[in-house]
Amino acid sequence: MPKQEIDAEDLFNLSLSIVGLVLRDGPMATTELALHFGYSEKTIVRAVKTIANSEDIGRFETHFYVDDERLAKGEVDFSAGMAALRRPPLLSKRQTTALAAGLDFLAALPQFAGNVALSQIRNQIGSGSAPITILASPARQETLQTIQQALLDKTQLVASYVNQLGEKSEREIDPLRVDYVGRRHYLRGWCHSNQAVRSFRLDRITKIENTDKPFSQAAESAEIPLEVFGQIENETTVEIFASHEASEIFWNFPATDIQRDTEGNVTGKIQVGSLKVLGRHIARYAGQVRVLSPESAIEAVRQFALHARNGSMTTEDQD
Amino acid sequence: MSAGASKQSPAERLFTLTCCLMAAPVIGLSKNDIFRSVVSYAEQGSDLAKEKMFDRDKSDLREMGVQLEVIDSSSFEETDSARYRIAKGSFDWPADFEINNEHMTLLELAAKAWNNQLLSKSAQSGLIRLRSLGVVESSRQLSAFTPRLLAQQQSFAPLADAIEEAKLVRFSYRKTDGTSSVREVTPLKLRFIEGQWVLLAKQAREIKNFLLRRIVSQVTPSEFPGEPVSTAQIDEAEAALVTFVTNNIAVLKVEQDSEAWWHFGASENGTVEVNFMDEALFAEDLMEFGSEVQVLSPETLRQRIDSGWQQVLDAHA
Repeated sequence: MPKQEIDAEDLFNLSLSIVGLVLRDGPMATTELALHFGYSEKTIVRAVKTIANSEDIGRFETHFYVDDERLAKGEVDFSAGMAALRRPPLLSKRQTTALAAGLDFLAALPQFAGNVALSQIRNQIGSGSAPITILASPARQETLQTIQQALLDKTQLVASYVNQLGEKSEREIDPLRVDYVGRRHYLRGWCHSNQAVRSFRLDRITKIENTDKPFSQAAESAEIPLEVFGQIENETTVEIFASHEASEIFWNFPATDIQRDTEGNVTGKIQVGSLKVLGRHIARYAGQVRVLSPESAIEAVRQFALHARNGSMTTEDQD
Repeated sequence: MSAGASKQSPAERLFTLTCCLMAAPVIGLSKNDIFRSVVSYAEQGSDLAKEKMFDRDKSDLREMGVQLEVIDSSSFEETDSARYRIAKGSFDWPADFEINNEHMTLLELAAKAWNNQLLSKSAQSGLIRLRSLGVVESSRQLSAFTPRLLAQQQSFAPLADAIEEAKLVRFSYRKTDGTSSVREVTPLKLRFIEGQWVLLAKQAREIKNFLLRRIVSQVTPSEFPGEPVSTAQIDEAEAALVTFVTNNIAVLKVEQDSEAWWHFGASENGTVEVNFMDEALFAEDLMEFGSEVQVLSPETLRQRIDSGWQQVLDAHA
């Protein structure tokens, strides 16, 4: 998406990059450069002028000769004067950290398991090539592949879905996007039974098929809300306490009244769709997250833990 | 403000400065050479203003990956003996550095994953630089996929800074047994493993892994440079972690047709083997499934989860 504004650092970076590309591949149209670098044509022209204004006033010499007439016609062409600059510098450490961490993140996703191109580029960027273990089932990878194909073909899916309350249903879904947020995959799609965009957690899809029927009109024009958890109805406000290490729990819910004490412990309020599902979110932190109120929420967590503990008892533990 | 306004924009100044330094002879340029060559410096009224501007630009260039070297030699006739040049190799991309369209798509996804958070700007500017290596069409295959990573730990930014500046940092780290201690380390790399950010860092003589979640204080940067670590040593430490994870195997029994069943892809008889990095974190992941998962082995994990349930009950009595 073209960006209109650019700061000095990014403009400098863009100028260096344009030098590299044009000296390598020859004259290019500003439109082409705009598309390639993802900036507006106006910004591309500013970057080219930055290159043009690189005169060494001590020696009365210029580093690059930019063809102004051609630039006015939308074409970027220049030759190197005294410049020894031929390409941009290698990635800075921060750029490397950013891209390497992003690639690392991708490598941890099931659909990139065994992806040769990913391990090549991780090697090049220096984020390592060692495979990272992945918590994902082959079934989920198949689900992803089916969805990806339907996304490309713009066809409808039929899925068996279990919602967070354990209720099963068959859904006809026009897939719009797959999000991976935090640690989970979500299919964002137009749900025919709800006539609205819905998020479906991939690990709750028990079966999925591509129908080869084309997308509905409604799906074509649907807007996808930014947040995957944007559809809470009848929500309950729950006040919780989390130790420093467990404070990430607040990232998973719409949260308010956040307060951090000197030790780094956090208290605050979260919005929860159903108390029935609260238990699992709280219990995973083994007491490091505590529900303060309301009483019904405390009881819901207690019941979840009791049920889980009894269910996980080995025979010798039982009466 | 406007009295000192230069004909050159800040970007133009940085670009000209880079060009002058690139075109410099092997012995580099003196500060006065630079002040005479770049119009923005020449236009500054006082020497102090020139110096200040140059200091800022030097640090900006270094941050952008233009490695400046200072050669100090009194054999030059200039009153100012320091000479500046660009470190050899800082513009030399490896001959075999090639990016095809699949690579570019993955890099774009990696940058997109930052989703306007902390390192989003650096990821985007890195991408621009890589695009100068040639026009490649990114593949359509993944265009509808939107990964979004979360790096909201307060320690992330100061650690990324310390990696960039190769500085020592200090922080308090709490182990799972509840004990915490102050660590002084040289941060080397931030990695995302099994849904957690992990810092690879050198502490004393050893390269260790630290979970960002367990850093329980501010990260304090030190003025001292970090300990140098070779790429080979980093590779070795990463390989050691992989071996460690490969040998950490849990056997689980999963309730048929439950969410856990679909999540882990259990076999017909309901058992599944899973590798894990950190027992305490893995226990959390399993506890989310409540009664749907039972741990058959290792025993330590089973006991950890059992006492975890007791802690939940105690906290909600």
